[in-house]
Amino acid sequence: MKRISVLLSMVLTIILLLSVMTSACGPKAKPEQVLKVGVMTPSTGPVPEKGIPGQHGFADAVTYINKELGGAAGHPIELIWRDSAYDMQKVGTIVQDFMDAGCLIFATHSSTEMKAASGKSNEAGFPGIAAFISTINLHPPTHVYGPTPDYGDDWVAFAKYYMENIWKGPGKPKMALHGLANPTGLGARHGAQAKAAELGIELVDIAEHKISTLDETVSLQRMKDAKIDVLFISSTPAPTAIIIKNARDLGMFPGITIGCAAASFGKALVDLGGEAVEGVYGIAHMASWDDNTPGVAKLREYCEKNNPQDLYNDDYLHCWTTMLIMREILVQAVKNAGYNTLAKGGKTAWKAVEEQGIFKLKDYTADGLVGGTVRYAGGGDNRLNNYLRLFQVQSGKIIPVTAWQEAPLIKYETFDWWGK
Amino acid sequence: MSLPTGIRNYTYAEDMAILRTRTHWVLLGVFLLLLFTAPLYLNDHWLGIVNRIGITIIAVTGLNILTGYCGQLSIGHAGFMAVGAYTSAVLTDRLGLPFLASLIFAGLSAGLIGMVFGMPSLRVKGFYLAITTIAAQFIIIWIIEHWTEVTGPNGIMDVSPASIGGIALKTPASEFYLILAITILTVYGAKNLARTKVGRAFVAIRDNDLAAEVMGINLFRYKLTAFFIGCFLAGLAGSLMAHTSRSISPDYFQFKDSILYVGMIIIGGLGTTTGPILGVVFIRLIDEFVTQLSPTLQTAFPNLLPGFTSGIAPMIFGLVIILFLIFEPRGLEHRWQLFKAAYRNWPFSY
Repeated sequence: MKRISVLLSMVLTIILLLSVMTSACGPKAKPEQVLKVGVMTPSTGPVPEKGIPGQHGFADAVTYINKELGGAAGHPIELIWRDSAYDMQKVGTIVQDFMDAGCLIFATHSSTEMKAASGKSNEAGFPGIAAFISTINLHPPTHVYGPTPDYGDDWVAFAKYYMENIWKGPGKPKMALHGLANPTGLGARHGAQAKAAELGIELVDIAEHKISTLDETVSLQRMKDAKIDVLFISSTPAPTAIIIKNARDLGMFPGITIGCAAASFGKALVDLGGEAVEGVYGIAHMASWDDNTPGVAKLREYCEKNNPQDLYNDDYLHCWTTMLIMREILVQAVKNAGYNTLAKGGKTAWKAVEEQGIFKLKDYTADGLVGGTVRYAGGGDNRLNNYLRLFQVQSGKIIPVTAWQEAPLIKYETFDWWGK
Repeated sequence: MSLPTGIRNYTYAEDMAILRTRTHWVLLGVFLLLLFTAPLYLNDHWLGIVNRIGITIIAVTGLNILTGYCGQLSIGHAGFMAVGAYTSAVLTDRLGLPFLASLIFAGLSAGLIGMVFGMPSLRVKGFYLAITTIAAQFIIIWIIEHWTEVTGPNGIMDVSPASIGGIALKTPASEFYLILAITILTVYGAKNLARTKVGRAFVAIRDNDLAAEVMGINLFRYKLTAFFIGCFLAGLAGSLMAHTSRSISPDYFQFKDSILYVGMIIIGGLGTTTGPILGVVFIRLIDEFVTQLSPTLQTAFPNLLPGFTSGIAPMIFGLVIILFLIFEPRGLEHRWQLFKAAYRNWPFSY
């Protein structure tokens, strides 16, 4: 028995070491043939329901790019994917892995991952994009970019819509915020802090919740006692559904208006919330699955073929679109800096990707997957697209209530309270 | 200490020596040579992993002193690391203190807060003490999340790199040498602590606290000392984490990390100096292995079920730990001792 356990331990150790070595040094395409892109998603850990569809979105987009678009400027894209497990200690080593592997640009699924990654990546000048982006990722501007408006923009867009179309009462409406205790929630809070007074809204309560929350009746009761008129939620679909159901149980909703930031909203919310979310408003940064555009048609084709369970999933859509934007960046970089510059790798290549790729972005439509165009605006605006739309859940369907509209840049770093 | 066949101790000094034979010295020399030249043969990614292993060894060595030697179960160690990380980041970046001073203050602040949460250890033990330390984890993180004037609205995004004598340690290689030096000092200190009066008092308390008290050991003093030392080391590890990752937030110090640290000392071997090192290296390498495995599987088997490639990784992680606990419940340290005994007695079986 002793010998067996000794042998087993030794075999396990050897397998472990060999596997790590071989996986790290496995056969890879020659560097001169490909453009390497690193992406991380939280496919295990606390939010796999968001990470796994995101992972599929990135992977399917790369398949589409290499198969039908001829890669980026004729060079296939090699995807280096890692599961972050939503472990922020691990994120730093993953970013270092991307840099060592010769990636030209990297993407994270969430703003929280990007927050943890940006310490290392910014110092190296390694450009990164977060599929879901928050205010703290973009202000002050660094080497981090957003493919869409941020969560602060969501709050402002909803608040403007509410004041112009819904609020009929005298005086200022009383608003409460319910945000996830991470950059997702914080972004909406920043938007409110910056613009609430200007828009004539009185912020009466700001509550935070965990991603694992199961009940928010205490915080909602407090809001009910404060007689709020409107509630804005910036979270992910599962906690958002719980908050809205709790609000219904307390008799608050309907009666008040509920708006959701982009990460809270989508088909996942309707699936989870059912009838309880009827009438809820929400923001979308990208096209809807039902939009009639070539980009959405292609997205649906690949999703139905490779990952049909992700159909109508917004994480899939965001990550697919983010990958297309990264491809466009690489196309520009190859065109303006030349492939040889990118093939050098390291800081030279990252600088070229940023200055000759990202800064040269102009009039890219992503085949109708975003509103307006993808472009680099400069002037401290690291949002590569600033269009968003408002939707409402009506009879179980997500119906647009506004056209695409631009979200103006808010220079958060100029406010006294920023960073405090 | 067991010695190779034919070697005896003739003096007390020989008996107490950590390195006893020429082979020990040669092996240590080779090991240190390999360690100190690591930046020559490891790329930045692997150096980053080695740095993470080093930081975890410092924290887990502290937990081992507290739990392994003194028997005070703590499931809030990540919280104490957070205290060290924030103390160091605030002192360095807001108050302009030198890194080394901040490092010491990080350890002291975590140690003092550890003592506060260790006070119930005089009245409660076992699962009840575990609950107290779990409370520490949640209370500390709650305070960090809500004391935003000091800790930042969602962490501190721009922690400066460690700097000694005006030289900023920015690269993974320079961070490696800093972490390596502190890890060696920590392990050496822990090894010697276990052989002092304090260390023996810890073991006595762990084995039977009533008997220890009857023998004249001041339980309150020694239990709090264990909490201070254990949390002091967690604070040092937190400080190093802050200055090497360049940003910190409560997400870095989750409850699951505290549980994982306990798992590391169990797998490595409780109450030994080498155990935490082996446990940390084993768990961190498994973690890296599963991170690399998922994409490899996805490339090799593109037709696997959706989500399978990412799901397989944690399954393997759990399976390896279960197998290990079944086949080697006394930890890797025990396996290492068996290996050394076999080497010493060779060519004899016993």
